[in-house]
Amino acid sequence: MYCVRKVVDDLYWVGGNDHRLALFENIHPIPRGVSYNSYLLLDEKTVLFDTVDWSICRQFLENVEHVLDGRDLDYLVINHMEPDHGASIEEILLRYPNVTIISTEKSIMLMHQFGFDVDDKTMTVKEGDSFRFGKHNIVFVEAPMVHWPEAMVSFDTTDGILFSADAFGSFGALDGKLFNDEVNFDRDWIDDARRYYTNIVGKYGPHVQALLKKASTLDIHYICPLHGPVWRNDFGYLLDKYDKWSRYEPETCGVMIAYASMYGNTESAVQVLAAKLAEKGMTNIALYDVSNTHVSYLISETFKYSHIVLASVTYNLGIYPVMHDYLMHMKALNLQKRTVGIIENGSWAPKSGSLMKEFLDEEMKQMSILNSEVNMISALNDNNANEVDNLVESILDSMKEA
Amino acid sequence: MLFQTTKKQEDLRKKVREFAESEVKPIAFLLDKENEFPSEAIAKFADMGMMGLPYPKEYGGAGADVLSYAIAVEELSRVDGGTGVILSAHVSLGSYPIFAFGNEEQKQKYLTPLAKGEKLGAFGLTEPNAGSDAGGTETTAVLEGDHYILNGGKIFITNAPVADTYVVFASTNPDAGTHGISAFIVEKGWEGFTFGDHYDKMGIRSSSTAELIFNNVKVPKENLLGKEGQGFKIAMATLDGGRIGIAAQALGIAQGAYEHALEYAKERIQFGKPIAQQQAISFKLADMATKLRCARFLVYSAAELKEAHEPYGMESAMAKQYTSDICLEVVNDALQIFGGSGYLKGMEVERAYRDAKICTIYEGTNEIQRVVIASHIIGKMKKDGKAKRKKTSITGERKKMIFRDGTPKEQVAKLVEALKKDGYDFSVGIAMDTPIVDAERVISAGKGIGAKENMKLIEEAAKALGAAIGSSRPVAETLKYVPLNRYVGMSGQKFSGNLYVACGISGAGQHLKGIKDATTIVAINNNPNAPIFKNADYGIVGDLMEILPLLAEALDTGVKQPAPPMKKMKRPFIKKEGPSYKRYICSGCGYEYDMEIGDPASDVPAGTTFDKLPEEWICPECGEEKENFIEIE
Repeated sequence: MYCVRKVVDDLYWVGGNDHRLALFENIHPIPRGVSYNSYLLLDEKTVLFDTVDWSICRQFLENVEHVLDGRDLDYLVINHMEPDHGASIEEILLRYPNVTIISTEKSIMLMHQFGFDVDDKTMTVKEGDSFRFGKHNIVFVEAPMVHWPEAMVSFDTTDGILFSADAFGSFGALDGKLFNDEVNFDRDWIDDARRYYTNIVGKYGPHVQALLKKASTLDIHYICPLHGPVWRNDFGYLLDKYDKWSRYEPETCGVMIAYASMYGNTESAVQVLAAKLAEKGMTNIALYDVSNTHVSYLISETFKYSHIVLASVTYNLGIYPVMHDYLMHMKALNLQKRTVGIIENGSWAPKSGSLMKEFLDEEMKQMSILNSEVNMISALNDNNANEVDNLVESILDSMKEA
Repeated sequence: MLFQTTKKQEDLRKKVREFAESEVKPIAFLLDKENEFPSEAIAKFADMGMMGLPYPKEYGGAGADVLSYAIAVEELSRVDGGTGVILSAHVSLGSYPIFAFGNEEQKQKYLTPLAKGEKLGAFGLTEPNAGSDAGGTETTAVLEGDHYILNGGKIFITNAPVADTYVVFASTNPDAGTHGISAFIVEKGWEGFTFGDHYDKMGIRSSSTAELIFNNVKVPKENLLGKEGQGFKIAMATLDGGRIGIAAQALGIAQGAYEHALEYAKERIQFGKPIAQQQAISFKLADMATKLRCARFLVYSAAELKEAHEPYGMESAMAKQYTSDICLEVVNDALQIFGGSGYLKGMEVERAYRDAKICTIYEGTNEIQRVVIASHIIGKMKKDGKAKRKKTSITGERKKMIFRDGTPKEQVAKLVEALKKDGYDFSVGIAMDTPIVDAERVISAGKGIGAKENMKLIEEAAKALGAAIGSSRPVAETLKYVPLNRYVGMSGQKFSGNLYVACGISGAGQHLKGIKDATTIVAINNNPNAPIFKNADYGIVGDLMEILPLLAEALDTGVKQPAPPMKKMKRPFIKKEGPSYKRYICSGCGYEYDMEIGDPASDVPAGTTFDKLPEEWICPECGEEKENFIEIE
């Protein structure tokens, strides 16, 4: 059965939702599912914007067929050729053999690489090209490295609709609701939107900034991303988040504590730290055990908070592997400009603190390490409890200065 | 191939030797003792046309060959090593860069008087943090309109402050390492160009050596030597040739010592015959002579190669390294042959023994010479993929907050306020004679304190601060204002307490290393470009005579209570700043071009700015063209 929604006159959402997929990109957990958005424009010509993941292809084909209502499909605009959107191209080609694919040169190259026979069926566009499909005029704007090199966004100058590809997308299935004002985004969606952005697009902040700059010149009324809700108001909220994330500026002044504990001693120390912070009035605290928190959540929270405390045991003379993995993800996603406190633990040759500091200094950018470090031998005790006080003080001091 | 010098060259040797024997030898002991520059002798030497030996006659030179110049340095050094290096530094270092890299106007204006001997030249490359590694150059030159503004300083500069013309190296692009260094011709007497310490050296005491200080020195644009960024190349090419001069100096010092030892060995009789006829001594002399002959061939051959425009960089390094190494052996043996007599002041071999040592150190240590030689025979080592990040100041991350606004009194008030805010309690204090290592607070005097009676101001301020008194090294060692055990520095006492107030201390590296564990460093100095300010948390630029009484007044709380046991205070938290240069990201893959690393795969050296990348350069990861990179804002 088809399941579509109207976005505005002439434009329909023809995508679908997937709750069965456990790991997005086979790495990030998506307990709230995910939507793959596709949009169909009915003008003098019919134009489909992007396709969907293979997993919901049948639903998608039913939707397209329903909206077309017997008309042929004239154009398929591919803004982003990653397979969660491009996988169903071949099915569209089979069913609508007269279709012309409009995309960038790099995108068409990727279609060939993924094995789609698109020869003689493509029209290459580049930055600033426009095309009139009847009433609607679409301008194509390149969006390289947001978050793939071939990506572009399409802008309908007639109705002010931005087809934004993966920009402004989110994890989470739509489950009937299509628009941002049909959900409580700040309560139910922001965490997944952040987790999506930071883990998928996070590394490419400068390119997102470049795209935001281009977008600021457009008169936008609708943002139609490839995942998550369609935005039709409250753009300031969303753009502010994107601006902060892409400049690697924290959203909130607070402390994220990420700890690696084998037998609970490091855990106990961070509980002491958290309690002392709260006692001094700093209650904006998020505390995570790296061993049982998926790294995509850790990354998302690291982008959110201004201060990070890394507490790790020493393991095989190194950083605890799960903590190390978290650090590697931070580096890979270009995270920077955080103030970091260090808690080191080790029972015979503590190394994790100095190694974490070295990693932050050598491998990452503008990670400012607080001078007050907590060095534990096995467990926190009377001898080093004052180090926790010093760390608390340092955190609070550095917040005042910021 | 007879390996012999020409008659013309030997005639020149005779002429220089006569000059050295008659004009320098009689005064050499005095020059050494008094640390005195032989101004008159050098003037006479200039009159003989010897100060521009290897330069063309059209520029006032003698048009002689490089070997003749080497012989001249050798002959002067044979009598006095210090006098030898005056000529070497003048010809090889002060004049050569202008001759080889200067334009016609620069040659006319500067080379001609240098070659005629009317002016004396010097070369300023070495800095506290840029010795063997010139990439650490911190002196900067910033282009402002039609001139550069030069700031910073140079140390251990031969011929300073006597010299008139200085070839000075400064960074015009501090992020580009050696590729950001440029060379400038700077004249003595220009506003802001002053001299620091005259060094009290172990040997070559007749040569003058001093520190150069540049404080907003205006250098006309036309005094840039070559192009911006060519400075390192100019310095290295100059040092290639300079090594021949130093090798010749070492050769001369060794030759002189050897001759004295030979003569003495023939005269000194023990066990009934001259010691020269005792095998122990004769073998020594045989070895000395062999080493000298070997060294001489190396030196002369390098000079001939240079003259013939053949590659000579490796050969001059070999000559410098070998000759200075055997020079130490020869002067050691010579002094040994003299026995106890040689150990006395006034003996030529004693002076030669001290003069010799510098030759293995300056113009590239012998370790660096081996690096040069090895790079020629093995090839350049591939650089590590990752260049080192720029070092922070010696004392670590500091606040560098300089109080500039308002009157001196207001500045002092702000300083006191900041210190109190950091938690300093000035109602308590420690005794002024607390050992530096145990002191919670120290106020130190540097040479900027001036006359000895000004130490009263330090004492008043120390009382008010509740601090012990320390000093820089010269204040204890040379001026003797405080006992030797009170100077702070790497070689003296280390301060690891909370508050350190440096008064009139410019901030030599060795001093800074002694205070790097201090929680808070305060600098008071009249030179805004003194390195101490880059190493301090708080600073006031001003006159000590004015600031110290104000400080004493502001902190005076009457009699101080005895301080509780010291509690080490936390170092202030300094937020890390991003790099000062632009970074660029590939729009084809997200690869980031970082000039600190360069692109080793395409032989782009570290330090190459993005705009200096060749047009045909492509992204090493995905092949995207240079124009498809975006700048990170």
